[in-house]
Amino acid sequence: MQQLTDEPVVRLQGVTKRIGRRTIIDKLTLDVPQGEVFGFLGPNGSGKTTTIRMMVGLMKLSDGEIIIRGHRISSQFEQAIKHVGAIVENPEMYKYLSGYDNLVHYARMFPGISKQRIDEVIQLVGLKARIHDKVKTYSLGMRQRLGVAQAILHKPALLILDEPTNGLDPAGIRELRDYLRRLAAEEQTSVFVSSHLLSEMELMCDRVAIIQSGKLIDIRQIQRLGSEPAAAEVAFEVDQPSEAALVLSDLQVEHKDNRVVLTADREQIAQINAKLVSAGIKVYGIRLLTKSLEDQFLEVTGGEQIV
Amino acid sequence: MFDFVQLVRNENMKIYRRTRTWIMFGMLLVLTLAISIAAYAFPDGNLPSMWMAFQINTMLGVNLITIFAVIIAAETVAGEFSTGTIKLLLIRPWTRSKILLSKYISLVLFAFLFVLLLLVWNFVLNWLLFGSDTEARMGVDQLPALNFFLQYHGYEFISMIMVVTLSFLVSTVFRSGSFAIGLSIFLLFGGQLLTGILSLMDYPWVKYVLFLNLRLSDYLSGGNMFGRGEHDLTLGFSLSVLAVYYVIFILITWYIFKKRDVAT
Ligand SMILES: Nc1ncnc2c1ncn2[C@@H]1O[C@H](COP(=O)(O)OP(=O)(O)OP(=O)(O)O)[C@@H](O)[C@H]1O
Ligand SMILES: [Mg+2]
Repeated sequence: MQQLTDEPVVRLQGVTKRIGRRTIIDKLTLDVPQGEVFGFLGPNGSGKTTTIRMMVGLMKLSDGEIIIRGHRISSQFEQAIKHVGAIVENPEMYKYLSGYDNLVHYARMFPGISKQRIDEVIQLVGLKARIHDKVKTYSLGMRQRLGVAQAILHKPALLILDEPTNGLDPAGIRELRDYLRRLAAEEQTSVFVSSHLLSEMELMCDRVAIIQSGKLIDIRQIQRLGSEPAAAEVAFEVDQPSEAALVLSDLQVEHKDNRVVLTADREQIAQINAKLVSAGIKVYGIRLLTKSLEDQFLEVTGGEQIV
Repeated sequence: MFDFVQLVRNENMKIYRRTRTWIMFGMLLVLTLAISIAAYAFPDGNLPSMWMAFQINTMLGVNLITIFAVIIAAETVAGEFSTGTIKLLLIRPWTRSKILLSKYISLVLFAFLFVLLLLVWNFVLNWLLFGSDTEARMGVDQLPALNFFLQYHGYEFISMIMVVTLSFLVSTVFRSGSFAIGLSIFLLFGGQLLTGILSLMDYPWVKYVLFLNLRLSDYLSGGNMFGRGEHDLTLGFSLSVLAVYYVIFILITWYIFKKRDVAT
């Protein structure tokens, strides 16, 4: 168990990366609290991997600061990084070593990782049958699993995964998703996961940030099943829009064409519908107008050139 | 902090778990065995003394080991960059300096281990084939043979470490294993030719050239072969020049490795 704290596990403040004259990451600011699965969504070349490289100290920041568990990655590297487990881009391992020896290699770099812990992790990622084979005989998905294994060996407070589902089969994706959610819920691990697949993010994340061309576009809370949805813009398609607006005059209503538009939550939608019907107005349809994450993401990525 | 030795164990594992290393090992033993057996089977008049065969075999073997160690040095850093494994290596609670140090130590250990095995193997092998010879004296100081060869290979080891450190530097700075191997081997053999020519010139800076000072073992047989005319080279002078080069190589290597962004 990690100790509980209100401090975000990782905090990015005005993180900027310039290479030559190009600004690849532009003043990125975000926090990931303890126990949250945070999605980092962006099209190809938007700067996901570059951000992750800076978070794990592989690249220096041009500006800004990254603080992990209260330690700056730039000046207190060892204290900051010991809370982190990561996959950066492809999980490249030593091909001439067995999967097991690869894990032993990384286990030696942390204090007190027992043989039992290594076996436990192997079991968890489902590589038991092939763990003593050389990594050069592994498939992409198997290497991805080994990548996850080395990242969680030391039970990090922050798990950073760069497109971890790349190469996994549907069962593998599902297992990983369930495992990440369980880690967050049971061990209070924070997970920072990048992807360009929105559907995947919606299934596993609590919040999703969208970046494009190195800039943060938006951070969204994801609605989980069973959680109370927030109020949203709703359109009611009716036969007499002006009548309907009168009936609902105690609310803020706009009416145009054959619709009335207002802001309401789930419960209110049902009440409004009942009110309209009992006033003799025909309701043909009820529609949420708030842009889904998908619409927004497509707007960002759709048809645009990779910059 | 916890055990630095674990990092060296990791680097050792990455050297000795590769078939390549064992092929090198086999080559070294088989080659020297073949030479000794040839000398035993087809003697040129009398059987040579064990020290004669020992000298030929170990001089050849040390050159071979230098090439092997250069290859390992070139691979240890550049290889991790070209395969991308450097990313997972550097995101552990160890500074880059310490990780580089563990690589360097494992490299020096490799060279030392191979030289030791070469010497022991050839001592035993040639003693068995040609019989013992405790009377032999060698060098300008007429040292007992065993004593002479221990000193000789001590000096050769220092030269080897210089070349290997240079390969390690090139490997780190250019992140290209083949370039590091090519450049080091070229400088090792080509550099000797070049300095042979340079040594005939009377410029005062010539005696500071690295490869002029690498032939430390020459001093045991009466002085550096380039140390003629204007260039009054002595063992102490050569060692000082090498020390300065060594410090510069190490500083550049560590500085570059610490500073660079890893973007493979
Ligand atoms: N070493 C580098 N030198 C110059 N530009 C770079 C370098 N690394 C990345 N870039 C540029 O930075 C931008 C962001 O790259 P990055 O790899 O972070 O994207 P990404 O979001 O991970 O993309 P993908 O979804 O394809 O993995 C790209 O435009 C890329 O060309
Ligand atoms: Mg990427």
